[in-house]
Amino acid sequence: MATVSVSETAPRSVTVVGPPRRRVPLGRPLLYLVLAVAGLIAMLPFLWMLFGSFKTGQELRQIPPTFWPQSWTLDNYRTILGDPDLPLLTFYGNSFFVAIMNVLIGVFVASLLGFIFAKYSFSWRQPLFWYLLALMMVPPSVLMIPNYLILSELGLLNNLWGLIVTVIVDPFAVFVMRQFIISLPNEQLESARIDGASEWRIYRSVVLPQVKPALATLGLLTFMFNWNAYLWPLIVLTQTDKRTLPVILTAYSTQHSAQLNLVMAASVLIVVPVLIFFLFTQRWIVAGLTLTGGK
Amino acid sequence: MAIDTAESDRTTEPKRARSSRSLDAPQRHFRWIVLTPTLGYLAFFTLLPLVWVVALSLFNYSPRRDGSSVGGLGGENPFVGLQNFQQLFDFSGQSQLSQTFQTSVVVTLVFAFIVLPLNLLITLPLAVMIEAAARRLRPFLRTIFFMPVLTSAVAVAVIWQYVLHPQYGLANSIIGKFTGETTIISWLNDPSMTVLGVPVALIAVTMAYLWMDIGYNLVIFIAALQGLPKSLTEASLLDGANAWQRFRFVTLPLLKPTILLTAVLTMISSFQAFDLFQVMTLGGPDNQTRVLSLDIYENAFRFQSMGWAAAESLVLLAIVLLITLAQSRLLRSKWTY
Repeated sequence: MATVSVSETAPRSVTVVGPPRRRVPLGRPLLYLVLAVAGLIAMLPFLWMLFGSFKTGQELRQIPPTFWPQSWTLDNYRTILGDPDLPLLTFYGNSFFVAIMNVLIGVFVASLLGFIFAKYSFSWRQPLFWYLLALMMVPPSVLMIPNYLILSELGLLNNLWGLIVTVIVDPFAVFVMRQFIISLPNEQLESARIDGASEWRIYRSVVLPQVKPALATLGLLTFMFNWNAYLWPLIVLTQTDKRTLPVILTAYSTQHSAQLNLVMAASVLIVVPVLIFFLFTQRWIVAGLTLTGGK
Repeated sequence: MAIDTAESDRTTEPKRARSSRSLDAPQRHFRWIVLTPTLGYLAFFTLLPLVWVVALSLFNYSPRRDGSSVGGLGGENPFVGLQNFQQLFDFSGQSQLSQTFQTSVVVTLVFAFIVLPLNLLITLPLAVMIEAAARRLRPFLRTIFFMPVLTSAVAVAVIWQYVLHPQYGLANSIIGKFTGETTIISWLNDPSMTVLGVPVALIAVTMAYLWMDIGYNLVIFIAALQGLPKSLTEASLLDGANAWQRFRFVTLPLLKPTILLTAVLTMISSFQAFDLFQVMTLGGPDNQTRVLSLDIYENAFRFQSMGWAAAESLVLLAIVLLITLAQSRLLRSKWTY
């Protein structure tokens, strides 16, 4: 293995005799310099949006542009919040409705199916599971055309339920839940059965309480994914009052491309509240993403 | 029917005595209560669309025209067989639609092959550096780079449109600070500007995409680094290996499986990139940023040529499946530590 070649070629440290001492790496200052610069670059677009939203239209159009607002103003926010054509609360409501419904339905269905796939054995279980896994590989662009036609037949275009019915069985979520439930000891389930518990009762009272962390992680991921979704809502929702936040932000930014101060204030209002929520819950989001390596 | 008491997911071990017990009545009952609606749902919302999209690709279909009662196919939406596919790969340059499709495939490939190496070249060293930083700083650093992942792609696109604005943008203003003269680069709509043959508009969207996407691979690499056996790096430390040698000869080989998997996932998701392109450039200028997903979307929902778009989407599916297959080949080789 490669480590062997290191020990052979690397010069042996003189101080290695005695207990291993923590060396002070020479690159420390350099490390922090690079990290600081990279972090700054990562933050700049956010700061640019934030500061832009507090600039007057006049200042924003100044050449060369200012970074720090010369005179802070809340006018942009007043304009946005008072704009009768932009009922932000309605759009927040739409986004929230879709995201929450998909979390509740999705997590319920995924945990139930995960239970079946993990703990029930029947001849066509594997084929069905493979089918679900295969579905994960199909790009959204492939299913969006027929799904659009199906929704149109069902009369669910321009209906928020159109964003819900198509994703009730989320293969990714089923896969995650199965992985968690499969590690629960079968003896527990068996003893519950001997005690006369129904299968539903076992799912409710034995399985679910033990996979709460997975449920929370999955719920958060589902919420985030739906909250930020763009392509499918763009196709399904064409009436303004039915739209979700990402779709409305594009529409607003296209209409007001000459007033970037307003567009930035709208972006802040749409991005920041949920971003704060995600930041507080990011431990679980990160855990979910890294656990499965899937989006 | 047997109940699987083993923790493995294998069903192909019928000889084991403990798994030979039948599912009892309540379990069978419960299974059917759960799976009957599930199967119905999967048939209607996954199998039917898959069949339908293949069918559509064989027709010259537009929802604007009247067809037969079977999904509007036939009638004024005639069956054309494989003609759509023949036309997709018609390189004579006579058909505008074919040329646009072929351009979009090239743009998608260029985009994916720029994104992948840049992404890995940024995320891997960054992950190592964050892990090398003081313990208290790590969550803070990770959060900074993870924030764009949590932000909706549309907001990212809108923010970057402002960052890249020719007159009022941050990018030109920073470049101007360094060069000392007013720079006006039309990042998103100057078709004549290229860097190493890559249109500047594509580079601009790529920058935004990388900014949005690196946090994702970053947390995966950080998690992988934290999962590495400490004994190995410590051993090499005792052997006097310097930081670079430890990274090159210990960490990197150990991370290889994670890197491969991450590379494939990054590639697949960049092949499907849509949001940033739709908002930032809408494929322009001169189709220089017209990625395949965008072309499919526009053909299907703007021009209502859904037969054509369905055929295009099947090509996208084929590309994604090819990468996935190649990946499983790559990953099959054994990696142990």
